Amino acid sequence: MPWRRPRKKVERPIEVTRSIEESLEDAAAGEEEEDSVDLAGLDDATVVEAATGEPEPERGASDLALKLRETLAREPAPARARPRATTYPESGVDLAVDAARGLRLRNPVLTASGTFGQGIEYAELIDVARLGAIVNKGTTPNMRPGNPQYRIAETPSGILNSIGLENPGAVEVARRYGVQWAALGVPVIVNVAGYSVEDYVYVVSEMAGTPGVVAYELNVSCPNVKDGMIFGSDPSLAAELTRAVKAETDLPVIVKLTPNAPDVVAVARACEEAGADGVTAINTVLGMRIDTRRRRPILGTGSGGLSGPAIRPIAVHITYQVAQAVGIPIMGAGGVTSAEDALEFLMAGASAVQVGTATFADPLVPLKVIEGLAAYVREHGLRSIREIVGTALPRMVE
Amino acid sequence: MIIQQGAVTASARIGDLGTVLGVSAPGIAAQARAGQFVHVRPGTSFEPLLRRPYSFNRIRRQEGEIELIVRPLGPGGEWIASRRPGDLLDLLGPLGTAFVIHRSARNLLLVAGGTGIAPMRVLAEQEASRRNVTLLMGGRSVAYLWPSDRLPPSVEYVTTTEDGSFGIGGRVTEALPELLRWADQLCACGPWPMLAAIGRMREEAERAPAAPGRAALLEAQIAVEQHMGCAMGVCRACVVVTSQGNARVCREGPVFPLGDVAFAEGEPATVGLVS
Repeated sequence: MPWRRPRKKVERPIEVTRSIEESLEDAAAGEEEEDSVDLAGLDDATVVEAATGEPEPERGASDLALKLRETLAREPAPARARPRATTYPESGVDLAVDAARGLRLRNPVLTASGTFGQGIEYAELIDVARLGAIVNKGTTPNMRPGNPQYRIAETPSGILNSIGLENPGAVEVARRYGVQWAALGVPVIVNVAGYSVEDYVYVVSEMAGTPGVVAYELNVSCPNVKDGMIFGSDPSLAAELTRAVKAETDLPVIVKLTPNAPDVVAVARACEEAGADGVTAINTVLGMRIDTRRRRPILGTGSGGLSGPAIRPIAVHITYQVAQAVGIPIMGAGGVTSAEDALEFLMAGASAVQVGTATFADPLVPLKVIEGLAAYVREHGLRSIREIVGTALPRMVE
Repeated sequence: MIIQQGAVTASARIGDLGTVLGVSAPGIAAQARAGQFVHVRPGTSFEPLLRRPYSFNRIRRQEGEIELIVRPLGPGGEWIASRRPGDLLDLLGPLGTAFVIHRSARNLLLVAGGTGIAPMRVLAEQEASRRNVTLLMGGRSVAYLWPSDRLPPSVEYVTTTEDGSFGIGGRVTEALPELLRWADQLCACGPWPMLAAIGRMREEAERAPAAPGRAALLEAQIAVEQHMGCAMGVCRACVVVTSQGNARVCREGPVFPLGDVAFAEGEPATVGLVS
């Protein structure tokens, strides 16, 4: 913008973070040289352990090399492979999880779509390279200007939003942010939204090959223009969409479940059968606030999506139900503000969590959750965070 | 931009305008500029959840202090406004764009409405030694005016009140045309109807022939308000419509060229259709 005066480079006195310049350097170096240097000094088993966070003692050497190459191609070397990383509270703790089938992340903490932009904005404030992954702002085939004001309203322990998927469109997102994503040193999951099956397929095809992108998350809370049905409300429609997107890409495809569906579990099951590699539970809950002075809804569109701690019990409940119905990994989302909240989701059967609204109040929450989970693993003498996944679920008796 | 725990150093109620908090926050004070804002967390829990944006009302770099005007509206505003000296505030800032004062401007006209006085006071203190500064402030009544003893003595202060309790009766737009003839540059901050009224004056000036003050009006800068979420540019809650499309008040704003902002019936224009 012509009136914008360039911002001065500033010091960031938050102690837990490295400067973004350092992160960028590391990310750039981590791609090529550092990997080979580090790998040379390690035996195969240690390398796989370092890269995947899991010892793999049974495999043969050639298998190992193959797997290693795959892993390194998928994402930059994990932070713990770098010398400086030893200063992080989570260093040396096995936090690696499969956030979806074929999507191993260095830790189970992601940032939720719509609350973290394209990842670059918060990089001015926190070290995003420490996150498990980020999910970008919902991306549609074409540019969308979004909804009329007001777009946000505060509610008890939460917020209502009705942004209207304002975004520059898939082609622009790929062009503008691809290079920056690669430099961030954190895997990016592209959140895809649309109003027809073709819309979703188009976005995924346009995003193909974009640097940094490791998976797609489908926002199925949108209505299908064909029949006005919300994609995520109808199991067969959600399955059709999942199949179409799976046919378009080799990357993992995750379906973000809407709690506004009459039978969320049936939708999750249908998506799994259609080939989904994971589900996110949950998207926002429909809600409304009225401006009593003007005697009309506060939000420009009337209703909006409720997020924040207010919906956490709903999200944990749905995670718990879905975990008993599907075999694919679940990402829990809805009101995570602390490691304690994240543990609720993990014990309810989620393999990872997405932090969203809480970041607005405290941008350090995602990093605090990572540190808190690491502390939990240490204090309870666990071998990895994976040991607690699903521990609150009823025991299967057969 | 940083996150900093600032210690409250002073708290003073200014009539019905709000509470002025002095906060020690050297990291933020060192970077802050007039028009920018700080996003303040209203407590330590997630209820209420959203931070509240406050434009700097004073920036004292040497002392490492800032001042904010806080209206005790809603649970968040009440909590922040009731902080006492020694209490800590979680601050995120400085955020957004700043007013740019032209080096060649000899006569600077500042227009404030309500808490829109905040950035105008920063400009008044910053520019008083460099050029002639006139501050025009409007309020509902005398209780909503900024006290003149909290302005540099060299600043000319003109006030309007809607109930005629002090200064010129009416709104700032009544007093503006005459002051404008003198001005080389105009900066304004206040409620949307006030900014929209100045916007209409600008549109008329665009069609009118050259006259004293016309250039200042055409190139006026305004700082705007909007319901805000993250203030980091990610949530896109705080957009306003500008000649360049949607602009985020927290990033591309809050300071915009007056001529770039689209108004509709005394309010910010909005995109799309209300269902």
